[in-house]
Amino acid sequence: MRMAEDAVEVRRLRRVFRGRRKSPGVAALDSVDLVIPAGEVHGLLGPNGAGKTTLCKILATVLLPTSGHASVGGHDVVRETAAVRRIIGIVFGGERGLYTRLTARQNLEFWAAMYGLRGRTLRLRVDAMLSQIGLTERADDRVEGFSRGMKQRLHLARGLIGDPQVVLLDEPTTGMDPVAAREFRTLVGELRDDGRTVLLTTHDMAEAEAVCDRVTLIDNGRLLATERPAALSSWISTYSRVDARDVPAERVPQLICELRDIPGVAGVRAIQPSGIRVETDVADAAPQVIRHLLDSGINSVATSTPDLEEVYLHIIGERGLRVSR
Amino acid sequence: MTALRTGLQFEVRVLRRSFGELIALVTAPLMTLVFLAVIRHGGREDLAPYAVLAPALIVLWGVALIVSGEIIAQDRENESLEAIVASPASFAGVLTGRITAVTLVSLAGFAESWLAAFLVFRVAVPIPHPGQFILIVLVTALATAGTACVMSAVFVLARSARAFQNSLTYPFYVLGGVMVPIALLPDWLEPISRMVFLSWSSDLLRDALSPAPVPDLASRLAVILALGVTAYVLGLALVRRTIDRLRRTGSVTYA
Amino acid sequence: MHDLVRPLRVLRFSAGNAWADMWVIFSPLTWIVGWVSRVLVQVVFFALIGLLLGSDDAVRYLFIGNAVMITAMEATMSVTTTTWERRQGTMPLLVAAPTRLWPVFMGRSVQWLPTGVITASVALFALGPAFGVDWTPARALTVLACLAVVAVATYCFALLLSAIVLTAVDLHNVISNVAQAITMLIAGVMVPVSFWPGWVQAIAQALPLTHGLAAIRAVTDAQAVGPVAGEVIAGLSLTIGVGALWLLAAALLFEGLAAAGRRTGSIEFAD
Repeated sequence: MRMAEDAVEVRRLRRVFRGRRKSPGVAALDSVDLVIPAGEVHGLLGPNGAGKTTLCKILATVLLPTSGHASVGGHDVVRETAAVRRIIGIVFGGERGLYTRLTARQNLEFWAAMYGLRGRTLRLRVDAMLSQIGLTERADDRVEGFSRGMKQRLHLARGLIGDPQVVLLDEPTTGMDPVAAREFRTLVGELRDDGRTVLLTTHDMAEAEAVCDRVTLIDNGRLLATERPAALSSWISTYSRVDARDVPAERVPQLICELRDIPGVAGVRAIQPSGIRVETDVADAAPQVIRHLLDSGINSVATSTPDLEEVYLHIIGERGLRVSR
Repeated sequence: MTALRTGLQFEVRVLRRSFGELIALVTAPLMTLVFLAVIRHGGREDLAPYAVLAPALIVLWGVALIVSGEIIAQDRENESLEAIVASPASFAGVLTGRITAVTLVSLAGFAESWLAAFLVFRVAVPIPHPGQFILIVLVTALATAGTACVMSAVFVLARSARAFQNSLTYPFYVLGGVMVPIALLPDWLEPISRMVFLSWSSDLLRDALSPAPVPDLASRLAVILALGVTAYVLGLALVRRTIDRLRRTGSVTYA
Repeated sequence: MHDLVRPLRVLRFSAGNAWADMWVIFSPLTWIVGWVSRVLVQVVFFALIGLLLGSDDAVRYLFIGNAVMITAMEATMSVTTTTWERRQGTMPLLVAAPTRLWPVFMGRSVQWLPTGVITASVALFALGPAFGVDWTPARALTVLACLAVVAVATYCFALLLSAIVLTAVDLHNVISNVAQAITMLIAGVMVPVSFWPGWVQAIAQALPLTHGLAAIRAVTDAQAVGPVAGEVIAGLSLTIGVGALWLLAAALLFEGLAAAGRRTGSIEFAD
């Protein structure tokens, strides 16, 4: 099943959405270059509105680029749509896209027919997918009675029913509870083992780090960098945040001065009620901050990993790029 | 009174945005043409008052059934019913205001019907007793609102009744004599149709459109009013029951 | 190799979807008591206008026209049920799949074909004798076949409306009701098509019901089916031809909408 060439190839891709009336259009994607080798699980990481879904839609043949080139499995997404559609599978987050009045099996049968399966092949494929997602027992129940996690698994099976070489997962874990999200990551691992190429969009750094071979950062329609997941984990440890609670009000100003002097501390400020927040930008600064706080008799201390916006603030902000809202 | 006004204003805003709800007002002019075509083809242009009156009454009833009848049920579905019940305003007041708004808007069917008849078929139906005609229309609108109140409570109390909601159109157009007077129908229908305020209204409106004086105006108006008020009182009682049930059991529906 | 049967297979599974929808809105009881009875009273309501006109012929004419109208009306209800597909949020998935859209939508509201034929048949055969329509087995079977043709052809016409409504979901009610009212007005349901000025008659020729109803009236007005067989076949052929043209137009519009959606970006993920 592995393809010799690159599974996804995007060159100088641009997509402009026309604004209302005469206002100039908005470029949802601009000069995007991206190559995903066959068999790779590639993450597209960015905040909401960064252009992730726009790129997914173009690769899925439901949106035309304004200019530039994109191909999947060597087929141009604009001219060779039929060939592209045969080899892609799409899964997006949320609960929509399923026929809730049909059973799980009927849903898969319909989509199997849409992907050209028939007869015995169709039935066997549907059975196999149901068993792979663990829904064999509920196969003949109507989807409207399913839990969110079950619907999401069915959604994944639906996306895989045509045995796609390239799977586009657009924010697939949106609205999932942590347990379901973890199960989902296992499933992505299985896709990699099957030799499929996966493009996964997400705004969750931990998710990208956990399942991707490489991760591309995107913001404001531009790709910023493509990194190994290890880079993400180093950012997570570098840019951490320490919150101190229940600090006696009279000690706040002096503690802020002391904390500022610790090397690697990027910012210190008072937070309500009676607390202090410390941001660091060097890997081993956080432990020192914590030690200092404990030594000063402040026992209510918590660390948290920064969310994507904060990492962007640090990394991209330094490079002078505008950070997405 | 504030509750009533709030409900009225609210409903006007809702209707402005969801015009699809008022589908009957869109098709009313076409129905006028349907009825007029039939009577003209049948060589009975003298029946023009019947043909323009029928669509207007159909709109009045249809909108009461589909829009007003849905009010509580829809609040229930989008889960705003609890919030309204929990507010200090009187629920019955808000509901009455909303139904009044819907009913007033649906009176536009009269203007549409008269206009369509004139613009397309050049048929002008004179109103020889304008004052009495308007009075009858208003009393009819009141009775419609009262009946809508019952329906809105019934459709939420018995969810299974909603499956039959659409079925309450044409049977009532027949029983209400909106196009064909009850007098022309089999006798056994008469006792049932006389329970339907529409049958009194349609006869009375047709009388008001003929040059002869309207016979027994006051007593016939009184019947319409009595049927309407009875429905309204019954409706309010059912609404109170709905809300009591909601507060007691957390659920309003029986079946 | 291109698989020519695939659209039919998709149509079949999509029809399964339609059937599931049908029994979610109706139970057998609500369908019979709620829907069929309402529709029968609708036919009676319009037929009774003949009483007002004082003409038994008018009663009969209006009865037949409105009974057959039921078949067309139910086929047009597909405009509303098509929007349910949009509500499920499957549009991007359908567009991105390697099968065209038209078989999906052609199967999607197919429940209205059998129900439309059944309700109209109940009206014609059960109520007909009371309204001056007498049946022989040959006549009844011929009319039944005509109803089936009317259902399919009108459904093809409604598919075009469905395609339009997909771009303006809020208008589904308005478009389907206005289409039904206009059909009722000009297709020979209430008055003969010849009642109208020439340009309206020309428009009426584009409606499948016009030709199908003419065929049915030929059967019900004749002493026996044999002598009017040619007229009936001609009428049905026209019905099928007009329906096929609408189907072609609808299929092209569905593809056009998908293409336009790709250009403008209106095909939303998780829409």
